Amino acid sequence: MASSHDADTEGITRRKSLATIAGAGALALAGCTQSTGDGGEGGDGSLSGPINIAGSSTVFPLMSAIAEDFSEQHPDVDPDISSTGSGGGFSNYFCVGETDFNNASRQIQEEEEQLCADNGVEYIELIAATDALTVVVNPEADWIDSLTVEELATIWESDAVETWDEVRDEFPNEEINRFGAADTSGTYDYFIENVMGERGHTSDYQATEQDNSIAQGVMGSEYAIGYFGFAYYYQNPDQLKALGIDDGNGPVKPSLDTASSGEYSPLSRSLYTYPSIESLGEEHIAEFARYFVRQTTNEDLVAGDVGYVPVTEETQEEQMEILEDAIEQAQG
Amino acid sequence: MATDNATDGGFGEVSRVRGIVFEYLSLGASVAGLVALGVLLVYVAIDAFDLADASPEWLLTYFLTLVVPFLAFCLYSAGDRAVTRRALGVLGGGLVAVAALFTAVEAFVVEIPRLSWQLTYLFVVAAPVTAYLAYVGSRGRVGAVGFGLVGRLVGGAAIGLAVGTLFLVFDELVWFLAYTLGVFPAAVLYAYGRWRSAGRAMTAAAPVGLVGIVAAVFLRGVIATYPSDLLIYIWTLAVPIAVVGAVVVDGRGSRIAAAAAGGVPLAVATAGGFLAGGFGVPGPTALIVLIAVGVPTAVYVHRAIDEGDGLIGLGLPFLLVVGALVGALVVEAWGVPAPDPWLDVGFVTGSPSRTAADAGLYPAIVGSVIIIALVAVLSFVLGVGTSIFLEEYTAESGLIGSLTRLLQVNIANLAAIPSVVYGLLGLGLFANLLGLGFGTAVTASLTLSLLILPITIISAQEAIRSVPEDLRRGSDAMGATRWQTTKNVVLPEALPGILTGTILALGRAIGETAPLIMIGAATTVFSAPDSLFSKFSAMPMQIYAWAGFPQAEFRYGVVAAGVITLLVILVGMNGTAILLRNRAERGN
Repeated sequence: MASSHDADTEGITRRKSLATIAGAGALALAGCTQSTGDGGEGGDGSLSGPINIAGSSTVFPLMSAIAEDFSEQHPDVDPDISSTGSGGGFSNYFCVGETDFNNASRQIQEEEEQLCADNGVEYIELIAATDALTVVVNPEADWIDSLTVEELATIWESDAVETWDEVRDEFPNEEINRFGAADTSGTYDYFIENVMGERGHTSDYQATEQDNSIAQGVMGSEYAIGYFGFAYYYQNPDQLKALGIDDGNGPVKPSLDTASSGEYSPLSRSLYTYPSIESLGEEHIAEFARYFVRQTTNEDLVAGDVGYVPVTEETQEEQMEILEDAIEQAQG
Repeated sequence: MATDNATDGGFGEVSRVRGIVFEYLSLGASVAGLVALGVLLVYVAIDAFDLADASPEWLLTYFLTLVVPFLAFCLYSAGDRAVTRRALGVLGGGLVAVAALFTAVEAFVVEIPRLSWQLTYLFVVAAPVTAYLAYVGSRGRVGAVGFGLVGRLVGGAAIGLAVGTLFLVFDELVWFLAYTLGVFPAAVLYAYGRWRSAGRAMTAAAPVGLVGIVAAVFLRGVIATYPSDLLIYIWTLAVPIAVVGAVVVDGRGSRIAAAAAGGVPLAVATAGGFLAGGFGVPGPTALIVLIAVGVPTAVYVHRAIDEGDGLIGLGLPFLLVVGALVGALVVEAWGVPAPDPWLDVGFVTGSPSRTAADAGLYPAIVGSVIIIALVAVLSFVLGVGTSIFLEEYTAESGLIGSLTRLLQVNIANLAAIPSVVYGLLGLGLFANLLGLGFGTAVTASLTLSLLILPITIISAQEAIRSVPEDLRRGSDAMGATRWQTTKNVVLPEALPGILTGTILALGRAIGETAPLIMIGAATTVFSAPDSLFSKFSAMPMQIYAWAGFPQAEFRYGVVAAGVITLLVILVGMNGTAILLRNRAERGN
């Protein structure tokens, strides 16, 4: 008992001295404080908040380049971008109200419109850039330089030909080795719609979401053919040979100029992003959308860094009007 | 082999051919796998550090200033002439052999891309010899002291960085209140109770701590003024770590040494924390890293001096640092063409970018570390809990026994389910139904915990089952309750095995991509997550996205740098866990 009594008295003095020290310390440190009062942030009118973006892997590099610049200018805005494919982005995230933007390498489809309507998600369509779907062959294949749209269709339709000489008589009698986009990709949808139409897409091909794999495949065989977005070919022009496409007016090779003028038809296509109108009600998202539309004519960024065709000034003005209307509607 | 050729008696001749063939087949199988992995890692390392562009002079400079002194240190520590002769023989003979063989293969068979014979020598001869000598050296007293010190420096820095990363998402103000009101009083009470052997004080510690922590969560919303972050870290982390260091030293040596072991690192870390801002380093991070490095180092150095053997080993860090500095100086002075590595400071501290030179992995690193920390805690608690229940508490026969066996079979089957399915589950259950958010760190960690839970449970069960039944019976015989037996006998005995299983499972979780894609984790974010409910990206997601970029620099440089970073963090994490396990094993 005696020892415990001792301990108690000593404990009290210790506790007291501790308290004294702590008090003195607190006084000494009072200068180095922070406060967490509400409404302290953003008082200077700076933008802040998250921006959720999902959708096409084709638009992904463009969107991340623009978001990168925007987040450098507005450090408190946190854009995040997922590469989910156009359709995956619409049905899993955008039309259930989880994302603010959905990128797409084709226009929104009927079922997706329906899904968005069911969930009360309203949106507008903005053109992000122009892409030229590029048909490539092995650089060693000096027997081929261009294809007509009809010849391209015979290679890729669901009941496709087997050998090159069936496409055109002077081509060699060798089996065609096909590499293309997977059926989840917007590129696949676009290719069917504008080349084969009702004739469908062959299943006798190597399907992949990665442009690199298509390029590797085509580089591996002299009798291979593949198609993908313009960016890969633009960044690696020596690895593969791009074919001219003849839509009735002679063969046209894909390039920034021919895609922009529409000469490279039918394979030049628009890339889109769909902001949700409700999200545009938030100032940082509206500002990001404006910034995005302004950047779509930036040649250094869109063409130089990413490899797509910038939109024209007129298109940009139209887009800006659509956007401003939507922002006004959202913000009241 | 000896028994195979037994020829006496009526057994006749036994053919050894099958045995020999089998032995070489298994050797071939192991070599094939390891060589393939080795070649992959070599190429990834070459890409990440741009070694293909490293001039032979550059390699030679660092070989002479860094590798040779290190080898000399190891040989000195081993103190074995035979080892020295063998090492020199292999290094010298390897040089000639690799050069000749490489040139011959290039001339007659096939050109080997992005490799020179110097690089091949480095990877095929120099690296294994260095590893071998480090192993031999570490068994000598000098080497053990040196490696122990280097380990504490590197490990302390890694732990400091990891803790700093975790505080990016955890609210340090809550932690400040919880520590001040709960953890600190409880620790003081407990320590006081032990010191004075006052049982009442020790029993009071847990409730006091709990009340304090609850009060902290409540008060967080009420109190509006707090000390600055740096002061919070000094008070809640640096001071306690320094005190622990001082107490450890005090147990062995003098009061003065104890005060120095705690006080000097504390002073250095505090000064570093206040000055770091001037160099563009966040003060709190500098403080945590310095204290996590300083205190263990001080304690270790004190112990080494105390034991007074192999003190020269303490010079190893200086040897390495001086070697690196001299190498850099030589490269600078003679203008030796140096490679421009993709994996540099900018890469691990920068944000993703469209240009390969600016691309960084920082937000994804933070995302991965946070998820893995959460997964480790969740899967350990859930896994160990389940396995203890299944092994120790359920009946083995009757209806309950059959149910348990059914459960067992199902758990084993769950381990084989593709990870995408877990992603779907996470999307449906955590993101949609429970509303924890699409692609948030919480959703991701819960999903990944479920994913590795079967593996954790099964390995923990194995570990618990391997505890000898005699030990349990012995404990029972002494009148222990089942809870006491489990706590005091079974768990300590099974802990190393449980940790091994958890480490393997975590290695799987950190590399998963498919479930993260399903729950909507972002491919790219530009700033590190600042709460558990913000969108995040993880290293495998970002690496996969880069692999699809059209620019070749991304595919060959940035992706490789990302892979090496992922591997280093994985190895660091596993290393920590293995150290913990070895401690637990020795504790037994």
